[in-house]
Amino acid sequence: MEALAQHICDMAKRRGAAFADVRIMHRRGESILVQDGRADKLSAHTDRGIGVRVLVGRCWGFASADSLQKRRAEQCLSDALALARASQEFVSDPAMIAAAQGVRAEDRRTAEIPSAAMPVHEKIARLLEYERAGRAAGNDAIVNSIVSYSDGEREEVLANTAGALVKTTVGRAVLTCVMVASDGKLLQRGMEHRGIVGGAELLRRTSVEELGLSATRKALAMLKARPAPAGRFTVIFHPSITGLLVHEALGHNAEADAVWAGQSLLEGRLGETLAAPCVSIYDDSVLAGEFGSYAYDSEGTPGRRRTIIEKGKLVGFLHSLETAAKFGAEPTGSARADSYESRPIVRMSNTFMARGTVPFDQMLRGIDRGIYLMDGHWGYVFVQKGQFICHAGQARMIDSGKLGEPLRDVSISSMTLDTLKKIDAVGDDFEMKMPGMCGKEGQSAPTDAGGPHVRVADVVVGGQHCD
Amino acid sequence: MTAKAKAKKSYLDICQRCIKKAVRLGAEWCDVSAGAGRDISVTIEKTGIKTADAGQGEDLAIRVFVRGGMGYASVSGRERRDIDEAVERAVALAKEATPDPDFKRLPSPQPAPQVEGLFDDRIAGMSVEDVVRIAVSNIEAAKAMEPEVNLSGHVGLTVGEGALASSTGVALEVRGTEIDANIEALLKRGDDKGYFYDFDFGRNLADTAPEKVSESAILGARRFLGARRIHSGRMTLVLGPLAAYGLLGGIVGAANAESIQRGRSYLCNKLGERIAGEHLTIVDDGLVPRGARSGAHDGEGTRRRRLVIVDRGRLVSLLHNSYTAGKAGAESTGHGTHGGGISPTNLRPALGTKTAAELIREVKEGIYLESGEIRPDPASGDVSASIDFGFYVKDGQIQFPVESAMLGGTILELLPRLDAVSSDAREEPGILMPTLRIQDVQIAGTE
Repeated sequence: MEALAQHICDMAKRRGAAFADVRIMHRRGESILVQDGRADKLSAHTDRGIGVRVLVGRCWGFASADSLQKRRAEQCLSDALALARASQEFVSDPAMIAAAQGVRAEDRRTAEIPSAAMPVHEKIARLLEYERAGRAAGNDAIVNSIVSYSDGEREEVLANTAGALVKTTVGRAVLTCVMVASDGKLLQRGMEHRGIVGGAELLRRTSVEELGLSATRKALAMLKARPAPAGRFTVIFHPSITGLLVHEALGHNAEADAVWAGQSLLEGRLGETLAAPCVSIYDDSVLAGEFGSYAYDSEGTPGRRRTIIEKGKLVGFLHSLETAAKFGAEPTGSARADSYESRPIVRMSNTFMARGTVPFDQMLRGIDRGIYLMDGHWGYVFVQKGQFICHAGQARMIDSGKLGEPLRDVSISSMTLDTLKKIDAVGDDFEMKMPGMCGKEGQSAPTDAGGPHVRVADVVVGGQHCD
Repeated sequence: MTAKAKAKKSYLDICQRCIKKAVRLGAEWCDVSAGAGRDISVTIEKTGIKTADAGQGEDLAIRVFVRGGMGYASVSGRERRDIDEAVERAVALAKEATPDPDFKRLPSPQPAPQVEGLFDDRIAGMSVEDVVRIAVSNIEAAKAMEPEVNLSGHVGLTVGEGALASSTGVALEVRGTEIDANIEALLKRGDDKGYFYDFDFGRNLADTAPEKVSESAILGARRFLGARRIHSGRMTLVLGPLAAYGLLGGIVGAANAESIQRGRSYLCNKLGERIAGEHLTIVDDGLVPRGARSGAHDGEGTRRRRLVIVDRGRLVSLLHNSYTAGKAGAESTGHGTHGGGISPTNLRPALGTKTAAELIREVKEGIYLESGEIRPDPASGDVSASIDFGFYVKDGQIQFPVESAMLGGTILELLPRLDAVSSDAREEPGILMPTLRIQDVQIAGTE
């Protein structure tokens, strides 16, 4: 694979590309779905192919093929060159590239227990254990139970015309449990989700208690919860909601391609104080074992910790080779491509808010009437509008400084900069358990997010009745 | 025989060879899909061309059942060694799966007339220069309307062909084309921002105007300048075509027979019951000529059909694939995917008697939601959604765009309060998108 990648790079130089990179990728994985007491669907996938990106004059061209034959790879290069040349005269913002470091390295982050080392029947047995325990704890209230597991490995060779040759191998595993409970009238779901860089050791590490039992407990609790009120409240974010905040609200805006394209609310704000002084936010791709971690990005730049907000001040963006050149900044190793069929784009890895000093009880004490949002489910952002939305699977009312009755299905919507400024307490705890696939421009990237509990004044809650 | 015909035949041959091998290895039931696709995509950024991309590839997926247990494997490319491994893996996995007595059988061959207009030689023959020209038309039109606009998005096309075969004798060949343009426009007036998007797509070039999308995106962005906060209260909600289509898609998604059989949908036990106002009739029609999601057969080889899902507010049908139909003792409705899922096709709600403008004029106080996700929880039906692209309506007039507001409720409480469907609709190939109106919805504002 290395020889083929190198050959295409050499050829690209001879054919006039100012820069070119070649990614050859081989992915394989398996997944198991256990549902209602049965291993329902077992599946496997494998794919391999090549992606060739070239910079010619002012424009990029990119072509891919699902073959590693030399003839197909050379055709990809020809296509990429033709694509870039066809667009030259219509470019308004000429492409650039930072001086690549010509890194030559190899990194293997394989599983402690590779997929093939644990027989399928053993994985099924473990998933059934989670499911049975959750069902048993539900006392016949569970009407549907799903436990799914997948693991896989991705091998990638990256070569570029600046001399880089980086080989990486990374395995990831994901485990999810969803319990649906019914009281005869209402249906409610409880979910638990885990993801790691690694493999089947995830099944050994994750207890029945924290997966099946916890999902059931959440579903049962939600049957007793009342609909959330609508309006403006002081809220406390659980670390999973803090994770959604730093990922959706801030992280996407700190991706330098969005900033350069004039679509981020952070455009022109570098060095400004945009958040409360108690807020520091980082993106770190080299945290051991976290779902969003990697050693080298898809351009061959080493991963590292990037500071986005330091004590309230915006100090940096996430960069690819191209955005680094445009901003005159250092590449941060944030260019990721989800397959050989995709161009690298600027992405987050593990994004989090740093731990603060305020104990949870103290946070509660300052609130007369508010909402404690837990169990972050999903979120999305309009970077262009500076608006983000987060959904909490569970919540509790806060009355006179104490946790009150449970609430169900609560979403919040807010403007990013308003929210960052309204954070008035950052907790002394920390949790990062939001492994997931982040979507952008049709690509998905494994990421994680988290932080401490935080308190935010004056947030809009989308409830079902006025308080 | 032309080269193209030879290629088509070869996919069917590959599928049938895999089936033979799978049966030899112990598959009791088996189906295989294989095909090839190529695509061109031109990305617009900062009101210029950013990059032009192209890709081509082949893939194959095999599904095997042993005592009802399912094994599935997919592979890219057409290396024989990889394909053989996929077949062996699918059979091995099916043998490991738990036997499932609810699985009855895969569909038998079901001859059906071809649906016209799913492949357009003009799209298939387009070059990257043609796609670049469409992108440039959007850029130039945008600059003429708003010299300072920040335009982004993409224009692309896909050309595909493939085959589906099964151990029951299904042997189908399909091909299709699609062209699409998605454009976002961002306008800045000092600190004020107006942002909106629009799109166009079609199986045939003649059904689309992909070069004109930036105009409507900019018109939308202009409308969203000057957003203001509103107060909380119970108001009328008018869902414009894009927002309404999202809501209807969610309802049809919840009418998925597997979710109902598993007891995890808010539509459990609602078949035959009234779930919405009598103005709502939703038809799913996979046979519309030139339709975006049309085809003679579904992903399992079952004949597609026109299916009424909600009839004057009453839930009358569920979407089935062969598995759920076998379990229910019913007939598959032709909504199966090859991976074993269930998916709707072209939604065509019945139209009402008043135009969208008339529906808005009757609103005393409310929100007009032009676009945005009202995504009910699939189990509880609870709705807690952001008003992403909405306007405040007072005394029948749209007043101003709304900032930082949300709506809430439960879908089974909201739908009975649906009191009108518009007589006019946005039309996309095969799809109808009218405006809907729902009374008495909880809105949370920040004023």
